[in-house]
Amino acid sequence: MIATMERLHLTHPLHFIVGLTLWSVWFVTVYGGHAVACAVIPPDPEQGAFTLVNAMLLVVSLAAAGLLATLAWGCCRIAKHHQGRLLFNAVVSAGLYLFSALGVVFTAMPIVGLPPCL
Amino acid sequence: MTPINRDVPQDGDAPEDPQRLHNDLHEIWGNPRGLKALTIVNHSTLGLRFMVTGMVFFLIGGMLAMLVRAQLALPGQGFMTPDIYNQVTTMHGTVMMFLFAIPVLEGLAIYMIPKMIGARDLVCPRLTSLGYWCYLFGGIIITFSLVLEMAPESGWFMYTPLSSSEYSPGLGSDFWLLGITFVEISALSAGVELVVSILRTRTQGMALHKMPLFAWYILAMALMIVVGFPPLILGSILLELERAVGMPFFEVAGGGDPILWQHLFWLFGHPEVYIIFLPAAGIVSTLIPVFAGRPIVGYGWVVFAILVTGFISFGLWVHHMFTVGIPQLAQAFFSASSMLVAVPTAIQVFVWLATLWLGKPKMKLPMLWIVGFLVIFVCGGLTGVMLALVPFNWQVHDTHFVVAHMHYVLVGGMFFPLIAGLYYWLPLFSGRMPSETLGKWGFWLTFIGFNTTFLIMHWTGLLGMPRRVYSYDTGMGWDVFNLISSLGGFLLSVGIAMVLLDIALHFRFGKPAKHNPWNADTLEWANTMPPSAYNFVSLPNVDTRHPLWDNPDLPHTITEGRHGLAVASHGRREMWGSDPLTGKVREIIHLPDNSWWPLFAALALSVVCLSLLTKFYPLAGIAVVVAVAFLLRWSWENGAHPKAAPDARVNPGDPPLHSRTMDGPGLWAMSVTLLANGSFFLSYLFGWFYLWTVSPEWRMPETSPLSLLGLIVAGLALTAGAGLLEKLVRGLRQQQDAGLAAGMYFISALGFVQVAVTLWVLLGADLAITVTTHDAVIMVGLVYVLLHGGLGSILALLQGLRVGYGYVGAYAPFEPVVVAQWWRYNVVTFWVIVGALAVLPSVIGG
Ligand code: HEM
Ligand SMILES: [Cu+2]
Repeated sequence: MIATMERLHLTHPLHFIVGLTLWSVWFVTVYGGHAVACAVIPPDPEQGAFTLVNAMLLVVSLAAAGLLATLAWGCCRIAKHHQGRLLFNAVVSAGLYLFSALGVVFTAMPIVGLPPCL
Repeated sequence: MTPINRDVPQDGDAPEDPQRLHNDLHEIWGNPRGLKALTIVNHSTLGLRFMVTGMVFFLIGGMLAMLVRAQLALPGQGFMTPDIYNQVTTMHGTVMMFLFAIPVLEGLAIYMIPKMIGARDLVCPRLTSLGYWCYLFGGIIITFSLVLEMAPESGWFMYTPLSSSEYSPGLGSDFWLLGITFVEISALSAGVELVVSILRTRTQGMALHKMPLFAWYILAMALMIVVGFPPLILGSILLELERAVGMPFFEVAGGGDPILWQHLFWLFGHPEVYIIFLPAAGIVSTLIPVFAGRPIVGYGWVVFAILVTGFISFGLWVHHMFTVGIPQLAQAFFSASSMLVAVPTAIQVFVWLATLWLGKPKMKLPMLWIVGFLVIFVCGGLTGVMLALVPFNWQVHDTHFVVAHMHYVLVGGMFFPLIAGLYYWLPLFSGRMPSETLGKWGFWLTFIGFNTTFLIMHWTGLLGMPRRVYSYDTGMGWDVFNLISSLGGFLLSVGIAMVLLDIALHFRFGKPAKHNPWNADTLEWANTMPPSAYNFVSLPNVDTRHPLWDNPDLPHTITEGRHGLAVASHGRREMWGSDPLTGKVREIIHLPDNSWWPLFAALALSVVCLSLLTKFYPLAGIAVVVAVAFLLRWSWENGAHPKAAPDARVNPGDPPLHSRTMDGPGLWAMSVTLLANGSFFLSYLFGWFYLWTVSPEWRMPETSPLSLLGLIVAGLALTAGAGLLEKLVRGLRQQQDAGLAAGMYFISALGFVQVAVTLWVLLGADLAITVTTHDAVIMVGLVYVLLHGGLGSILALLQGLRVGYGYVGAYAPFEPVVVAQWWRYNVVTFWVIVGALAVLPSVIGG
């Protein structure tokens, strides 16, 4: 695990945008996937929120949140070993990954309660 | 041109005669007068032109607002007919958003950024000039529609079908669509070059995390422009094609969908409000530490907030469409993301308050405007969170509550910081101080007038007064409120007039400013006041966030020529090109001289715009060719061309000229341009799949009308060309340029094969573009790849010629790298188009 993290160069400012880009990709996937799913396999409204569509959206969201949280944790670990510019980069990236992870969780919450295609 | 034979001072060494150095630099950088002033490319001059022009448009927009308020002051008034009223409101919104807010802020950035990061100019000076002319001409064309009483009248967001030919038969919508697209060239040019300038031209040692915060804000704004404007450009092109040619993109009968316009518009429109807010917040984050007399609390937090805003604001667009009938779950996503974007804004507010709390704030005039901003903007933010709640939104949608909210964030969040910034930097522009008395009067009148006008509108909105109505009956209970609101509006105008008067008078009567009058920390105050055309005699080493606080002597040593690049005898305009992360100097960037080409290209483009408006298509075609010719001629005067840098000698110890490396700023400019292009392309794909899945009457033919074989042949030719180009570039990296010219010609020929075959596929497909949306969308996609392929082969052809002239080769390997990037992009988009338009439909079926 640590070795993989080393290879990601988490002190590079590229990670300022990776987390939020993943958030955006996740958002587009869920929004688009939801629209397509409702066009192709609309579930019976009777089912409420317990549908295949919700389940799929939830799985994608959990995976995204998990990935982002791991990266946030990785940045925190790496940050401890650096100073100055690299420390700054790692800390800001950690914050951005954490925010993106929480952003996924927060935005995905309605999936648990709402029927998908009404 | 004298060769370089003088010893150059290294950082801190004894300089040569500073006066002589100054004269030399002035000779090279100084602005010409008379007619030649039209050729100026200098960022200070153009930044000022942008700002002054923007303020003129602000006055026009403000006058339109006063007309609206005058009509609404009393019930049952009708001095403007409904038709004129609609034109006036639409133009107010349009002028304020497109011709005032963005250009003024961009002008400020164009003026400030090089000075703050220790550069002598922006990195593509001719692009600055093109941007200005496109803005000016486009703005004049749009505004002129008012004089003709032909202005657009469907609201500043031009919703279809109201703006389509059936309900807006006149030229109004065309003025909007063509004019705004023209003006957007300006926003995009500035966006591209600001990004590259901030990343690649910071002075030595200024690492990313030592940049002034303002540069971070502008970097985010510029990138957001680059990604955010293309969806609207696509939408405008499609709508104009529908109106002019009859291609049914937004008409349900042919298979289109009017809601697609709303998506494309708000994909641009929501980021747009943050494009306006971020630079304004940048002003706030610059001023507060200076007046609090201490560094900002939490630089990292601010960077974090800027980045979050830049991304999340692209994920909210549907919150403008909560009433169009979207599944609840999708609405919930957008409602949640809209609340998310409040987090970074709140962080910034806390950072500002903490900085004020821990410092010793001095309530000078600029600070007054900052405090006004904080009060008004926080209120606007609160009503914004209210509006993000779907049920509340349904209640007040399209009422004056929204007008009130919008102006609290726009005027509070953009206009107040802008005036704060103008007052703050006034001494830099003019060398003089504003008057505290007149200035305070101006502030208080504006502040009170603003709140009187817009606070009341929350009430009228909750009482149900819809927006964009030209009149209302008495007895709705709205009368008194509207009267107060209108009176407030006039108070506000008096306040703004006072501010403008103060600024105008100060040029003559203001007290001369002492050096660094506010005791600021950033590098722009190391300039002379007003600044010279080249900003800095020598370029210092900066490795702190507060250069002038840590080293108050810096302005003197800079002017004495004690730092880098204090040499002018070569006659080139030069500055540092540095590493984007660490700020280590990598190369010397040489900049082009003043030039007529930007003006000529912009003139040709306005002919295109006008002839499309008047539906005089042959002229439009000719003007396009002429404009392209001007632009290509402009690109010709680069690199080792006699007008650019034929002689590449530099001082011993200095890095090489950028045109003699493989990674100059032009490569970065191309990447950023392709980012914009990619955003356009993705918007197109979004449109295709959106119509395919959602549009009610969408019809997909049984088999694709496109010849798959033909497309594959074309794609292979394109891919082969790109592959060959990569190989040539690899050779150049090893200093080998044997067969370069021949290779370029061959690549160009492959490009023409792709164009010819694609054209054959297009003509053979027999598309009914005015009958079905499906065919119309396919047409647009194929024309897109045709134009890209055509430009790719022309560029390769020109490279071949340039090798022959000796402008390109192993010793100047820079340009083929840039062209290769364009080809790479073409390959990717071509195959995606083939997959999306020809392969997928036969796999999935309609
Ligand atoms: C300076 C004083 C200003 C006043 C008195 C004012 C007043 C108004 C009024 C009365 C409306 C019409 C509302 C309706 O009937 O729907 C309006 C709309 C609008 N205003 Fe302003 N405004 C001012 C400044 C600004 C500024 C600085 C901006 C942007 C930077 C702006 C952007 C807009 C927009 C986008 C609309 C919507 C237009 C539409 O619905 O098509 N305004 N304003
Ligand atoms: Cu919005």
